[in-house]
Amino acid sequence: MTLQIINNATCTFCGCVCDDIQLHHDEVRIHEAKKACVLGTAWFLNHTAEKKYPDALIDGKEATVEEAIQMAATLLHEADMPLVYGMSNTTCEAQKECVAMADILGGLLDSHTSL
Amino acid sequence: MLKITGGKVYDPANEINGQIKDLCIDDNGRFVESVSGGRTIDATGMIIFPGGVDVHTHVAGGAMNFARAMTPEDHRRTQAFIRTQSRRSGLGGMAPTTFATGYLYAGMGFTTVNEAAVPVLSARHTHEELADIPIVDKATLTLMANNEIMLDQMQAGEYERAKNVVAWYLWAAKSYGVKAVNPGGVAAWKWGSDAKQLNDPIAGYSSLTPGKIVTMLATICDDLQLPHPMHLHCNNLGAPGNISTTLDTLKHLEGHRAHIAHSQYHAYGGDDWDTMCSATSQLAEYFNTHPNITTDAGAVLFGDTVTITADGPWQHLLYKLTGRKWGNLDVENETGCGIVPYTYRPSNLVNAVQWASGLELMLLIKSPWQVFLSTDHPNGGCFWRYPEIIQLLMCADFRKECIAKLPDKIKNRITLPEIDREYTLYEVATSMSAGPARALGLHQKGNLGIGCDADLVIYEEEIDIARMFSHPRYVIKAGEIVIEDGDIRETPHGREFLVKPSYAPETDEFMRPLFEDCYTMQFDNYPVEIERIENPDVRILPGS
Amino acid sequence: MGGKVTCTLGEVKQRADFIVYWGGNPAECHPRHFTKYTIMQKSKFLPRGRKDRTMVLVDIRETKSAKAADIFLQVKPGKDFELITILRALIKDQHVGDEQIAETGMTRAGLDDLVHRMKSCKFGVFFFGMGLSMTRGKHMNSAALLTLAAEMNAFTKFVAMPMRGHGNVTGADVIMRWQTGYPFGITFNRGYPRYNPGEFSTVDVLVRGDCDAAFIIGADPGATMPQPAIDHLARIPTICLDPHVTHTSRLARVHITTAAQGISAPGTAYRMDELPLPLKPALKSPYPSDEEVVRRINEAIAKKPFWLPDGSQPQVVTAIG
Repeated sequence: MTLQIINNATCTFCGCVCDDIQLHHDEVRIHEAKKACVLGTAWFLNHTAEKKYPDALIDGKEATVEEAIQMAATLLHEADMPLVYGMSNTTCEAQKECVAMADILGGLLDSHTSL
Repeated sequence: MLKITGGKVYDPANEINGQIKDLCIDDNGRFVESVSGGRTIDATGMIIFPGGVDVHTHVAGGAMNFARAMTPEDHRRTQAFIRTQSRRSGLGGMAPTTFATGYLYAGMGFTTVNEAAVPVLSARHTHEELADIPIVDKATLTLMANNEIMLDQMQAGEYERAKNVVAWYLWAAKSYGVKAVNPGGVAAWKWGSDAKQLNDPIAGYSSLTPGKIVTMLATICDDLQLPHPMHLHCNNLGAPGNISTTLDTLKHLEGHRAHIAHSQYHAYGGDDWDTMCSATSQLAEYFNTHPNITTDAGAVLFGDTVTITADGPWQHLLYKLTGRKWGNLDVENETGCGIVPYTYRPSNLVNAVQWASGLELMLLIKSPWQVFLSTDHPNGGCFWRYPEIIQLLMCADFRKECIAKLPDKIKNRITLPEIDREYTLYEVATSMSAGPARALGLHQKGNLGIGCDADLVIYEEEIDIARMFSHPRYVIKAGEIVIEDGDIRETPHGREFLVKPSYAPETDEFMRPLFEDCYTMQFDNYPVEIERIENPDVRILPGS
Repeated sequence: MGGKVTCTLGEVKQRADFIVYWGGNPAECHPRHFTKYTIMQKSKFLPRGRKDRTMVLVDIRETKSAKAADIFLQVKPGKDFELITILRALIKDQHVGDEQIAETGMTRAGLDDLVHRMKSCKFGVFFFGMGLSMTRGKHMNSAALLTLAAEMNAFTKFVAMPMRGHGNVTGADVIMRWQTGYPFGITFNRGYPRYNPGEFSTVDVLVRGDCDAAFIIGADPGATMPQPAIDHLARIPTICLDPHVTHTSRLARVHITTAAQGISAPGTAYRMDELPLPLKPALKSPYPSDEEVVRRINEAIAKKPFWLPDGSQPQVVTAIG
């Protein structure tokens, strides 16, 4: 099967955020990440489109995404002082939603920077 | 649909000066002849203005966000907007958060703002921030006068190429127009230098001078038929005696359209800080005889603020003068920026001269169609303090009280005490709305005529002018009541204005190798995708 | 003193003839930093590339990055702040005693040479890593180096930049600043953002046991935080979003698998110099994106009663002081 190519892809493994990577993929996994460094190559090749994990877990048991979302909303809404934390390995679009979450909850908001 | 009846209307675009007039707004948020049904606001005894238009402000992007990071002490003491079920929280102050910026502008009746300094490289960031500024409509200007790819073309005498490069950048940035900051001076700052003389070659170039950049860039803006002419921050900002630089700059603009930004900072006489004085009469005289040029005051108000400008070398000087925090961010190939918190004090002679100069310009330039209300937010003061300036313009007695509080030594340095002019409401409406809208080429703004955007503000007449202008009774944006009795009712998304200038199709391939030489991101990833702009309003410019 | 004198990485690529890495190991942690942005690049102003540039490495041990450096300065552990302070004095020709220099592991000749090079370069830059910002002195060390860079501008052009790791942590910083005014360590518990690292920063909050629920995204504190913090995460309802089932997922009440950013989820990420770059995912994930899941949780929360008492008016609070 011929591999598909994505030019000028962006690597988010480290703070360099190189945007000149050429990805060769077959829709399931990335076979080659040209120009990427050793860390970036590992990052691209280790993630696949396979379904390795359950969609969601509630108390360790498999659940649907919708059930997990409702459960998450309930737990966070019931809390008096919920914490929203992390946001390193995610997109700006998700980060904006996280700030909105802390805002609507009246909670705490923090990132890796504080470590 | 909305009908507003019985108000005294000030609509300078249509020469309506305080006549009682009904206004009708349709479901598309535009003024129409008549409507049937919908809400009616009885504005009897009230004053109606077109929504305010800020021609020059800094509200979003890398520099403003840098300033936010540098001023947590101000966030802590400032006005807070509490989260409600439907509205995001925010903080006001000298570097407000995005949400609060929208609330504060709308809260004093402003419905359109022009972010006046965007490097192309951080345009993507700026648009993301603008999308988080609710209520108001927005436009951005792209920093061009120190872009080395463009400067190289100018140095080589390649005018057409330079024009294509500018047009290419404007579309890459999804921008509304061209901003020029300290032409050549910021490029020189990359080597720790500056450009103060219009006719001296700039650092790194054999014959290119700031004067040539000014003329060429103004010509390019005219030739591209940009709705807003070149928006120029002159060389030698803030320095005693810089009036000669400013007048020299204006000579380089003969025959062109141009907007001179924050002219207060460019209208000083004297030889040094000890002898610095106002030279606003000379500058005002120039404007009074050159209707092709507009300006905004860049007025200064006493108090704390944070200064933000692409003028990196000036900020280094300000840091050395004040010993306060200094932020600097040089942007590859394009521009730079500097950030220094600052306190304007009436007891400081230099600050007192600056305070008087801003007001003098607004009062000495005869036509309010030429000089607009601004503080160069946040540089001269925060935008939410505009009502204080309006009060100073409208009340000569109040001005005299304020002048009396300045040090005695100020007397021979300013002309403000000799000026008796008081702005009328009609002139205020021109200077804060109709004038800047026309200068920006936004014909549907600052205008209460049929077909225009239904952005307006309704005040209850009060003796206390500052209070009246800071507490509108209603603010209506695109036909929607967003502020009523001091409460924020709705926080709709505004639009963003941008232009699509035409450029030679080979410009892409011309740019690519030059780009790859000096930038660190990929050429193909550089232009901002149009999909990222929230509600874009694109004006396609005619081919040249 | 405060602030930061910095630039985008392209300025370094174009102009920097003097590059100092302090407390960082780019050869192993940011492998393309040398080749893409700093010492290896040729430019209009530095046509001979590596030959036109000088690189200094300051660290407590000789890492792989030392091989790339022209000068390696081995500072004694925990003495970075002292060394920076000595440099701040030396550039201004102020007196520094031999003992004070010896304490940092340096020699006077070595520092005189360094100061001479710093002052005689055309464009100098400090890149600093966690070896500076996370060791004894912490943010005071970073502030001292930023101040040194600012003060160097009395002599020549000089800038400084943190070597940020952790993927898009810079994006979080940037977005929190524009939406809340603050970069991290924030609480909304009065309905508007307030900031106090130490009080509202996560390790402190967790170790004290302050919070009663946690939402974790794009991080695995269950693997990296001190044990008392992890114990608290296990004690309270924790919700975790991650492309993998992580240590944190295992102690969480709720785990949701999401698409990996830049691989199967689109969006934006910020580089260490705060430039946003578009992501171009190659794969289609069977899982939803973080953005979608958090938005759906927010929508579900918005349907529940708001935490401010019913009928309370939107109000503006002016804090005193």
